[in-house]
Amino acid sequence: MFSDQAAQKGSTLLTPPSAKGPSFDRVRTCSYSNRSERFRLGERSYARQYAHIYATRLIQMRPMLEQRAKQKWGQDVMIKKLCELQMGEVCCVVGTLFKHMELQPSILREISEEHNLLPQPPRAKYIDQSDELILEDELQRIKLEEGIDIQKFMGGGAIIAVFGAEKEDGKFIVDDYCFADLPPQAPMTGPETDRWYVLLASGLGLGSGNAESLLGMQLLVDMVTGQLGDEGEQSSAAQISRVVLAGNLLSRQMQSKDSLNKAKYLTKKTQAASVEAIKMLDEILVQLSASVPVDVLPGEFDPTNYTFPQQPLHHCMFPMAAVYPTMQLVTNPFQAEIDGVRYVLQSCLEIVYLFLTPTALDTLSEEEYAVIYTTPTAPDTLGCYPFYLKDPFVLEECPHVYFCGNAPVFKMKEVKGADGQKVLLVAIPEFSTTQTACLVNLRTLECQPISFSAFCDAEEEENEMNVSH
Amino acid sequence: MDYSFKLESKMPKKRGLITDTYKMVRKEKKTKQEEDEEKAKEEVARNLEIERKQLESNLEVLKQFDLFWEYGPCIGITRLQRWERADILGLKPPVHVRDLILKHKDDPLYLQRRAGRLYLPR
Repeated sequence: MFSDQAAQKGSTLLTPPSAKGPSFDRVRTCSYSNRSERFRLGERSYARQYAHIYATRLIQMRPMLEQRAKQKWGQDVMIKKLCELQMGEVCCVVGTLFKHMELQPSILREISEEHNLLPQPPRAKYIDQSDELILEDELQRIKLEEGIDIQKFMGGGAIIAVFGAEKEDGKFIVDDYCFADLPPQAPMTGPETDRWYVLLASGLGLGSGNAESLLGMQLLVDMVTGQLGDEGEQSSAAQISRVVLAGNLLSRQMQSKDSLNKAKYLTKKTQAASVEAIKMLDEILVQLSASVPVDVLPGEFDPTNYTFPQQPLHHCMFPMAAVYPTMQLVTNPFQAEIDGVRYVLQSCLEIVYLFLTPTALDTLSEEEYAVIYTTPTAPDTLGCYPFYLKDPFVLEECPHVYFCGNAPVFKMKEVKGADGQKVLLVAIPEFSTTQTACLVNLRTLECQPISFSAFCDAEEEENEMNVSH
Repeated sequence: MDYSFKLESKMPKKRGLITDTYKMVRKEKKTKQEEDEEKAKEEVARNLEIERKQLESNLEVLKQFDLFWEYGPCIGITRLQRWERADILGLKPPVHVRDLILKHKDDPLYLQRRAGRLYLPR
């Protein structure tokens, strides 16, 4: 679609220069509202325990699950609490799903190092054949067996309704289970014409010294600001109304703490590597925000807090770009309404942790409940602020598009809810490895990958540059 | 007093009155001021007793509110925050508990549940 429009205009590159070149006005978004206030943290007191989050999550989700259970298994299905369970009685229980993983690091085992026991090696994946699923409600917990595929679930933390009966040895045999349905969705009031796009990129990975990705990055900036290509490309680029950079703007190497292990006299005059990377990021942002509104989300390796929800990067790190009002520094996860279309964007720390747990790589295509909570495994495997009033990660409104950044490949799926909700789930690939970004058409909600690459072959003498759609 | 028993001196030589052994003490008439003071002290003691009973029953009400598991965990947040959370989540917590907490806003005993034994000053 993007390239079709570009191809419609004739080629103008090799024409003689004219006195006044053509100019293209960028389309302006008519409405943009940032709805991420609930992810901003005011006072931060870590004196609380995390039990409050789980309790409020269960209380908030329980009515929805009971309704779904009644729809699925009949109006007169018995919904009981764990303390009221009778042996052999078939009923439905609503609670939090917890996955007990042997390989998950435990603070108690770390403390046991003092007793000269072997420390646990850091692992990439926590799943094992011996994992167990446990259902917890407000007061008790019970082990789940049969009927439910343990390997299908990433971490725990989601609220689930199980239908089955309790066995003699105190375990619950599951016949069937269900999650809450998608929350109600407001109708989409997108723009009428087909000419509005949003560009999404994530995982820029600056500071790693990877020349290919830097070239790709510059090509992206040039394309968006209209300095690349002939009039066809430029007019298409003018239809990009917004750019969103979804996390991991700095690369993993920025997190290295080598200087901590070295002696002080060796590291006195050295600067942290991330300083250079942030300067580079500032230059890129200046170029982008001079021309197009930009939203910047922090990611796992960016200089902001580790616990979810990550707070926006501080504007004093970007002295050049912060002057422009078009640059917005936002939280991760990020919820916004752009031209009547509701988005939820997340720079995926969550998916990184989910990869630590499941066997299936395309987790996005599996569970719909990913749309209802942005981070079910917080605070179990993912650090999180101890909220007490409400769990802000439970989405009350169904978004139209749900993005997840820093995925290994570009993937797209449309999910339909029971009440006619339609959500587009998109995994944005990591730019530093794939040099691919995403273009979303705001009217039809179609998503298209756009990749920038340079072919550098040592045998051939000329380098071919390729901007492909 | 001489407690040694001598047979001869069992009976006093003189015809004595019992008031020789048990001296008569004239009851002193209290002055009005002292009477008032005493009455005031008694009243203060009674009021303290009533207040203490009131405090105990209030704290009992708050304790029942804390232990009502429907509203979620009670440690780590103040009672007012917990009440407001229950209100937001639609669990309809009783209004008199909120009024009680707000009436004694400055008293730390009312504000938050203390883990451990409750020390009531007597």
